Order: sequence, then C-alpha cells, then structure tokens
Amino acid sequence: MTAAGVTVAGVTVAGALRFLLPAGACAVLLLLPRLTANEYLFALGVSFATFSVLAGGLNLVYGYTGLLSFAQVGFFGIGAYAAALLVTEQQWPFLAAVAAAGAIATVAGLVIGYSSLRLSRHAFAIVTLSFALLCMIVARDWVSLTRGAMGIPGLPAPVLNLPAGLSWRIASPADFHWLMTIFAIAANALIYLVMTSRLGRAMRAIRQNEALARSQGINPLAYRLLALGLSALLAGLAGGLFVFYLTIVDPSVFDFYYTETMLIMVIIGGAGSFWGVLVSTAVLTVVPDLLRFSTDLRMVLYGVILIIVMLVFPGGIGGWLRKRGVARWRSVRVAKS
Amino acid sequence: MDAGFLMGLLINGLVIGVIYALVAIGLSLIFGVLEIVNFAHGEFYMLGAIAAYFLVANAGFGYWPAVLVVTLVAVCLGYVLFEALLGGLRGESFERSILLTLGLSMVLQNGAVFLFTTTPKMMTTPLSYATLTLGDLRISVVRLYALGLGLAAFALLYVVLYRTRIGKAMRGVAQNRNAALMVGIDPHVVARLAVAIGIGLSGLAGAALAPVYAVHPLMGFAFVFKAFAIIIIGGLGNVSGAALAALALGVLETLIGGFLPLVMVDALAFGAMILVLLVKPHGLFGRGVRV
Repeated sequence: MTAAGVTVAGVTVAGALRFLLPAGACAVLLLLPRLTANEYLFALGVSFATFSVLAGGLNLVYGYTGLLSFAQVGFFGIGAYAAALLVTEQQWPFLAAVAAAGAIATVAGLVIGYSSLRLSRHAFAIVTLSFALLCMIVARDWVSLTRGAMGIPGLPAPVLNLPAGLSWRIASPADFHWLMTIFAIAANALIYLVMTSRLGRAMRAIRQNEALARSQGINPLAYRLLALGLSALLAGLAGGLFVFYLTIVDPSVFDFYYTETMLIMVIIGGAGSFWGVLVSTAVLTVVPDLLRFSTDLRMVLYGVILIIVMLVFPGGIGGWLRKRGVARWRSVRVAKS
Repeated sequence: MDAGFLMGLLINGLVIGVIYALVAIGLSLIFGVLEIVNFAHGEFYMLGAIAAYFLVANAGFGYWPAVLVVTLVAVCLGYVLFEALLGGLRGESFERSILLTLGLSMVLQNGAVFLFTTTPKMMTTPLSYATLTLGDLRISVVRLYALGLGLAAFALLYVVLYRTRIGKAMRGVAQNRNAALMVGIDPHVVARLAVAIGIGLSGLAGAALAPVYAVHPLMGFAFVFKAFAIIIIGGLGNVSGAALAALALGVLETLIGGFLPLVMVDALAFGAMILVLLVKPHGLFGRGVRV
C-alpha cells in the first residue's frame, strides 16, 4: 500500500492534503499583512494575484477549449481604461466602475470570438493578436478620450462601502494586497468550478476531438464563447481593480510583454492543469524579481524556455507530471494481475 | 492639388507596398506549405536590416554586395531554422508552431535589443542623397532600388513557382498535402525550400529598406503584425492574394498619410482585416479550401 492510500477516519491523506494545501496557501496570503509590514511582499502579492487571474483565464481558453488567445491583455487594458475613465470623467462609484469595466471587456471578447471563430482556429489566433495591438494603437492615438501616451494619472484611492455603514478606503499597499488577493481567490475558485464541472469536461472534449464532441451534441462555438467571455470578464475586472493600485493608466497597459509572460506561465505550468498554472505563476512572479535580471535578458530566457518546452514537453510540466501519473497507475495495475 | 506631389506619394506607397509584399509573401508561402504561422518572420526582416547596416557601416560593403550577402545568409538561415525547429511540426500542431516561433522571436528581438540597444541607426551609403529628377518629380534613388529589387524578387519567385518542377511540387503540397505525398513528392524537401525562400525574402526586404528607414531591433515586431493582417486580407496561404493586398495597403497607407492624421494609417491594416473577416471570411482572394 502506498502512502497516498493511507486513510484516517475515512479521509485519505492525499485527499486531506488536496484540501489543506490550497486552504493554507489562501490563509497565508490573506494574513500576510498581519504577519509582516514589508511592502515589497505586498507588491509581489498584488502582482501574483493579478497574473493568477490573467493566466487562469488564458488557461481556461487555451488549455480547455484549445484556442490560442492573445486578446487577454486587450481585455485587461480595456478594463483598466474603462474603470479609470468612469471614475475620473463620470464620477462613478468604484465598484460600479469596476463592474462596468468587466462588462465592457466581456462584450469585446464575445464580439472578437464570434467574428473570428466562424472561420478557423488559425484566424482566431491572428485576430486576437491584432485586436490586442489595435487596442494599444487606439489608446495611444485617440487622444481626446484616452489622453494618448500621457495616460490618465492621479486616480483617487477607491472607497468601498461595506454593509452596516462601514467604509474601507483602499490606499496602502496592504489594502491593495487584500483587495487583489480576495478577488483572485474568488476568480480562481470560479475558474476551478467551471473546469471541474460538466462545462469543463465538454470544453476538454472539444479540444481533444472537435468532430467527436459535435457528434455528442456539444456545440463547440457556444462553449468556446463561454470560455472566452468568462476569461474576458475576469481580465477586465482584474484590469479595473489593478489600475487603482497603479494610480495611472497609459497605453503600456497593453504591452505585449504581459501576453508573453502570461503565455509562459500557462505553458510551463501545463495548459489545462489548474494547479500547475497556479504554481508556475507563483514561481514566475517571485523568481525573476529576486534574480533582478535585466528585462531583455529575462525575455531571451523566457523565449529559450518556450522553445525547449515546445520541443521537449509539449504538455508543459503539468502535462508531463500527469502523463507520469497515468504511467505509474498503469504499471501498478499490471503488477497486481 | 499638385500632380507631382500625388505621383511622389504613389511611388512611395508602391515602395512600401513591395516591401510589405516581400515579407507577407514569405509568410503566406510558409503557411501554405507547412500550415504554420511564423511569428519570428519579422525578426528576420529586422536582422536583415541590421546585418546590412553593419556590412555597410563597419565592413565597407557597398549597397548591392550587402543586399546580396544578406539575402544569401537569410536563405541559409531559413534552412537551419527548418531543420532545427520547424521540421518536426505538422499542421495539427498549429498552436505549438505559433508558440515555438513566438519563443524564437522573443530570443531574437530581445537579444538584438540587448546587443544593439533600441537606438535607431541610419544607414548611409553614397547613394543615400542621390535623387532622380523627372520633370518636377524628385525620387530618392534608394527607394527606386528597393522597388526594383522587390519586383525582381517577385519575378524570380514566379519563375520558381510556375516554371520549375520543385515549384510545381510546392504548389502541389500547398493544394493538397496527402495527394502530393501519393504522387511521390517529398513534403520535407518542399517545406524546407519554402521556409528558405520565405526567410530569404524577409532578409532581402530588410536589407533593401535599410537605407530608407531607420534601423532598430523593434522594427520587425511592428512589421510582422501588418504582414499577418495582409495575409488574412489576401486569403491565408494565397501568395498572389498576399502580394496584391500588400501593394494596395502600401499605396492606401501612404495616400491616407498624406492627407489625414497619422492615427488612421496604423489602424488601417487592422480595420481592413476585421472588415474582410466579417464580410468575406476566406479573404478577398481566398481559396475557399482548407483553413
């Protein structure tokens, strides 16, 4: 009997670990401002929370429905601009502006998806890429709305009106760490629910064999639009929240660098593996910052990693582990019989 | 309205269109034969321009020898690229091919930024300030050379594709891979040649344009996205469609740039692409098969 098979009061150790590890990680992240006053850690926490939502959404689209989307950064930036403009120009309250940002990003995602998915996966990849670039061009050149390359500086600290007449003014790095962590936990929980539900199984079926999925009565377009819309919503909300942490929004929010980083996180973690991508996001948020590479060399290194992973393990680290698990499971079966 | 000004704009537009076409044709050829989108395509354009700059500025080459050397090296690089990275990929691993070439693009682009910094450099040759005067029309000679080189490359490509056995084989693989295999065409050989030609054209475009525009490591990045839009407009995998779309885009961009604010110029390619996708999803000159 292996260690994973040990049971205590009907609960397997592996099962308990599966629940305790994420719960412990969430608890540590949420309690971080009580444990330390180190603002650098809060900055890393905000960065991890943001990227975990962006990479998680990309993982849903690419890992589950098999569509390589470059539009994620466009939704993120649209959310950022929408929230910033609604708060500064229209005096909307914080939460309403963020919700509107998410809604606008979702609509953009559905339009992009509907117009390009009629053609092919190939066209989808190229159209999403062009969409992200078009967003940057519009943000840079539509000066009367976005103020061009100057951006919109000096966003006010958001105030959340809580029930019972309380209000929370989010101003310090610790506050933003809390805000983004709570949002990231909720968003990732939603992604996890979709992935492990009937919806996720249908999406995986589409990725593995579209014709077979169709013959089972699964409409690929509907599921693909659902995945794309959900990832656009989460990215738009993430952008709408993150922009108040930055206190400025300018066209660099659409930088291709974000896309490359997200893709590397998903690829290394293993497209289609929820925990793998989460772990690789954590590692890739913390490690390059500690090493203090110059950005050029870091991107060269990411490029090399991308090439090697694509040539050697196309499923990413997560996929490789899963394959090993399957192989071990098979070998145990053979030994018994 | 001054006719000379209009003529000048038209010729500038044609020059840009021909250079767009050189890059887009290579991209389209590689897509047609291998069914992969080469993200790193623009980086070879950038490397071609940087190599030409260093050959002229530091090694004392003239314009023509530099263009010739860069094109030949680019063709060899295409062979190496195919054997090292792309040879093992097939059509069904489309996303994998994008990620692989994206990785290559990140390495080449950021490596070039690290080595050369992002400062733009101007390549000066003895021809740089020479102009040709036709009536009241003055055209810079290097632009005309770029135009001539591009047209010569088209002619050569046409001869290869339509007048040689290997060109016929290449068109055969692009039309129907399995049928081509059945009549004894080796797709590996054909694909290798397509990649070599594609990268060679990209390098040629970079070298030919080096004296016209500033040379810097990010020039390929912006360029390749326009090339993507062009091959979608022309119909994925359709080489002559890509050439026509590229020429039209070059001329339109320059004409618009002459009269309207610059904003419209960059957005034109993407706007046209989205419009074409909505109205005619297979591209203006689409083949209607595959893709």
